[in-house]
Amino acid sequence: MLTAALVVSDSLGRGFDRGVRAADLPDIIVRFDPAPRGRVARRVAALPDVAGFSLRQEATGVFIESGPHSSGSASVEIVGPGRRGYAIVGGRDLTGRPGQVLIERGLATSWGIPLGGTVELADLGAQRVVGFTQSPDDVSYPLAVPRLYLSRTALQARFGTQLDPRVNVAQIWLRDPRNLDEVLVQARATSYGLHGLRFVTRSGVRVLIDQAAGIVIDLLVALSVIALVSAVVMLAASARAEVQRRLRAIGVRRAVGAPRGHLAAAQGLEALLAAVPAATLGVVAGALATYSPTSRLLTLLNEPPPGTGLVGPLLAVWLAAIAIPVLAAAWPAWRAAGRPAVELLAGAELPRRRARASTWGPRAGLGLLGARLAGARRVRLVTTATALGMSCAFILLMLALASALSALETDPRALGKRYQLTAGLPSSEVAHIRQIPGVQAVAPRYEVRAVDSFSLHETIDVIAYPGDHTVFEAPALLSGTRISSPRQAEVGAGLADALGLVPGSTLAIELPSGTELRLRVSGIVGSFDHDGRVAYVPAAALLAADPSASEVLAIRVRPGADVAAVSAALGPVAAPASGAIARGVPLVDTLRSILRAVAIVDGLVCLYALLQTCALTVQERRRTIAVLQALGAAGPAIARLLAGAVLALVVPAAVLGVLLERLVLGPILAKLAAGYAALSLTAGAPEVGAVLGGLALASAAAVAWVAAQSTRGAVVKGLAA
Amino acid sequence: MRRVTRREALIELTAAGALLAGCGSGAPVTDSGSTVVSTWTDAMGTGNLERSSGEALLARTELGPAREGAAILTTLAHVTDAHVLDASSPARVPFLDRLGEPFQSTFRPQETLTAQVLAGAVRAIRGLRPDAVIQGGDLIDNAQSNELTWALEAIRGGAVRPASGRLGYYGVQLAENPDPFYYRPDLDAPQHLGLLSRAVRRFISPGLPTPVYPVLGDHDILVAGELAPTDVTRGLAVGEHALWELPRGLELPPGLSLTAGGSPDGPPVPVLVDQFLVQALAGPKVRVPADPARRQLSAHEVVAELRAAARLPADSGLLDYAVDVGRSVRLIVVDLARRAGGSGGRVHPGQADWLSAELDNAGKRWVIVVSHHPLVSSEGGEQLLGVLDGHPRVIAAIAGHIHRNEIIPRPSPAGGYWMITTASLIDYPQQARAIRVLETAGGGVALEMWMLDHVFGGDLGQISRELAYLDAQGGRPRRFSGDRLDRNVTLYRAPARG
Repeated sequence: MLTAALVVSDSLGRGFDRGVRAADLPDIIVRFDPAPRGRVARRVAALPDVAGFSLRQEATGVFIESGPHSSGSASVEIVGPGRRGYAIVGGRDLTGRPGQVLIERGLATSWGIPLGGTVELADLGAQRVVGFTQSPDDVSYPLAVPRLYLSRTALQARFGTQLDPRVNVAQIWLRDPRNLDEVLVQARATSYGLHGLRFVTRSGVRVLIDQAAGIVIDLLVALSVIALVSAVVMLAASARAEVQRRLRAIGVRRAVGAPRGHLAAAQGLEALLAAVPAATLGVVAGALATYSPTSRLLTLLNEPPPGTGLVGPLLAVWLAAIAIPVLAAAWPAWRAAGRPAVELLAGAELPRRRARASTWGPRAGLGLLGARLAGARRVRLVTTATALGMSCAFILLMLALASALSALETDPRALGKRYQLTAGLPSSEVAHIRQIPGVQAVAPRYEVRAVDSFSLHETIDVIAYPGDHTVFEAPALLSGTRISSPRQAEVGAGLADALGLVPGSTLAIELPSGTELRLRVSGIVGSFDHDGRVAYVPAAALLAADPSASEVLAIRVRPGADVAAVSAALGPVAAPASGAIARGVPLVDTLRSILRAVAIVDGLVCLYALLQTCALTVQERRRTIAVLQALGAAGPAIARLLAGAVLALVVPAAVLGVLLERLVLGPILAKLAAGYAALSLTAGAPEVGAVLGGLALASAAAVAWVAAQSTRGAVVKGLAA
Repeated sequence: MRRVTRREALIELTAAGALLAGCGSGAPVTDSGSTVVSTWTDAMGTGNLERSSGEALLARTELGPAREGAAILTTLAHVTDAHVLDASSPARVPFLDRLGEPFQSTFRPQETLTAQVLAGAVRAIRGLRPDAVIQGGDLIDNAQSNELTWALEAIRGGAVRPASGRLGYYGVQLAENPDPFYYRPDLDAPQHLGLLSRAVRRFISPGLPTPVYPVLGDHDILVAGELAPTDVTRGLAVGEHALWELPRGLELPPGLSLTAGGSPDGPPVPVLVDQFLVQALAGPKVRVPADPARRQLSAHEVVAELRAAARLPADSGLLDYAVDVGRSVRLIVVDLARRAGGSGGRVHPGQADWLSAELDNAGKRWVIVVSHHPLVSSEGGEQLLGVLDGHPRVIAAIAGHIHRNEIIPRPSPAGGYWMITTASLIDYPQQARAIRVLETAGGGVALEMWMLDHVFGGDLGQISRELAYLDAQGGRPRRFSGDRLDRNVTLYRAPARG
């Protein structure tokens, strides 16, 4: 578990940095409508803190073909001299000779294109693949469009003056990236005349990657800590029980003069012999199991794998995996050997706190006896129950997260949309539709596509409702407040970035009618729609400026009501509200798989904890069990005893797990994810049911297996223990 | 020795107090501003200015061999293009640079702090203890009465409150202005919360106790340095409707371009700006408080006021005059500003003869000719240069206008002279120039020159310098600080021939 967590955490957590270094990723990538190279160069060169820049032309929607594969949405960048912003991870860079192309590794992997293979480009014909690239400014094919690079020199040689001399991409490297905000302000101030401006910053990409990968990494690290704590508790308890079993032997050896340290070392050595192969196997297995899928994920993210950089951390994990059981075994032996030999020969228990008077009734059955036996080790019970409870909470969280991620693609409500249906009807029909059973709320929804008032040519989706828009659409509020007056607007984070808007500043947009609308920004909201370039405005303000705004009715269905029935009642004018299709959302599939895999591993940790609990109960209570067996108790009776012990552990753990997820972890993670979408990460009944069921199954399996093991030994041997 | 008036004594006292208190807004000023001692540089090229060691004087011997200085003839300071402006004025047209070349820098992120920067330059010049100061023109930005009042107060010394309207700030840098092309200090990086309100607060300038000789610049008498005030602009200036946005559909007439070596302030076609204003007034306007103090002055009024401030003989025509500084140096000031509009310089009828006569009157004095517009780029400038070329006592022709530190030798049969321009106070590097005239062994002359950084108390001066440095349309990318040999140098000139 530790190794798996290490491999995934290191690979994902530091992958972006590795990718940035390898690709020499620029600090700012500016995209704009084609403009003369000289004009753009002068403006970029005038910015402060610029260490270098390169200008290139990017063609999108290009048709490419290779073997049986084809795509009509490829992005082809025509690169000139200067810094590249991509890493060559196979083959070599473009030399300027005609007929060469670089392709992204993700595309090569997905389509099976080897070095030296060919790609057919529209208007250019077959181009020979001379190298593979990686650049972490965007995810790779198939999560994003195929990306290829051609040499400007080669194209100039072929097309001469027919080649469009204009550029539409500027890559900018800063000397000190901490000045990014200052540079962006100046870039915006001098961008007049450049249209369709889009800024992508390295730190912005990093935030996106970190937020996506960070959730997985944090979960894995938390899980590793839980696994580690569980392992330490269990190993310590197991070692203690083992020493308890050997007290007389230790007493004999102490009586004949064996030094205390020698006895502890012997115990540790015994653990070492078992731990070395186990740790080696665990580390190798963990690394092998996770390295390959993680590398595939990194390829999709356009990031290089960690390579030999993992050797050191893996060695540290291997040493830790050996040291923990060795110390856990040597420490109780050291403590036991410190006691007088006479006491040890008399079979005294290891020192422990005085047990409190039992509160269990005299008529308790075997199950309750088992619970008593488990409760006798209070600290261990609490620690194990806590670890188990946290494991349950994390499993619940991951299942909830996986469900929420699915909802991003399929359920518009996850992105803040609370209406399920739209109807192409006039607002006069509102009262009529409200009468349809199952309809909770209905209101006209107006939408227009506007542009900013400053000739930046930023397109903006302007959405308006007559009343409180959050009844129908409530994208997460990132800063500021909701609209509270007719002259206010909420704007998406993407729009705020493009126009430098903050709560309190003024949004100025030009509507299709040619009228300008100015509203005070009350808040910034997180929205995937139109890359966050949205504005929610009061309908009165929008209609006053542009009465021709398109109108539909947004219909919110009551919880539990049948959407299909409502839709049927509306007839053919009804349409389902669509979820947002955001770039990068296909990555959700990969993340979802990882989350589910981690949940399964976490489940295995729970099973281990339960098995250890049963085994320890049996080991520590061998005499008690032997007495019961001597009195005629068979396997089922022992199983009831163990079930009692397990229930004493599982019940509080399950309660703790559910409460922890619903009240703490889910809300916290949902808040962290608020920058993306309104995710509900509180585990629902299906998730809770699945986890409790899994826990019950794991408990039953542990009880059955340990009970079968314990009844195999001779009763006399147990009585003599 | 000149007597100190009661007013000057009071100002001295106030200035000393302000000096100790750092103008009431920060740490006391201990810096002399001399770039020989230290200056501001961006060694890493990151956009962040830091104190660095000074620049020693380098010898330039294109016009004569390096000789030891025998005696100091006089010490001068040249401070030019302060562009003290009323950033709240509705008569500003800060959007014109969006049309691209030739419009440049009609808006600057540091433009609310021009009066403070001038006061900071005044403080640095006081430390120099010059015999005279040349105020090189474009003292103000938009020919407004209140701008001239603030600028002259900063030079004379006393309280300055660079605010109009209701004495607040009502310009394009307000946070509520949605236009992303303007730097808004309350929102944008580098964020300076409250800067706008601090910029319009009253401050004390220490003033200059020495004579200040003015030169007339295009911005002193023309709106935006381009347009002679018209009824439209006069009404706009004192009124309550400001133009913050480029009128939709406005395009630059094809073929318009700057003249060679032209002004960074605008094109030489005044009618163009007038046309813009007429169109813009038909578009969206912003309401601001009216203020009669923003009255636009005529060229006559400006010249009269500048002459009065410098105690020069009254004359509302051209600001041409000659003064002797000490016994061995004569300054001849030439007014090349166009009265009818246009930012470029132009030689007026009769000026060549007048200049020639003044040169003859100089006798054995060394002569420094001063104008706002560089002679080389002014219409008819060759005529004046021809006059100077023939005069053996001319040692320098000093100008401003192009906002750039530059020193070019101009050899001539008579011995040659140095063509010098000094950076502005509004654009980076926001420096003035110290000039020491020395007689050298063997009868030659040397001009020791070094730049002076402004040293306004508190942080406003430094904020202005940093914003000016970041400005992507400003002096950093356009290399206004010049090369090393354009700044701290000793310029040698061989003895006069003939």
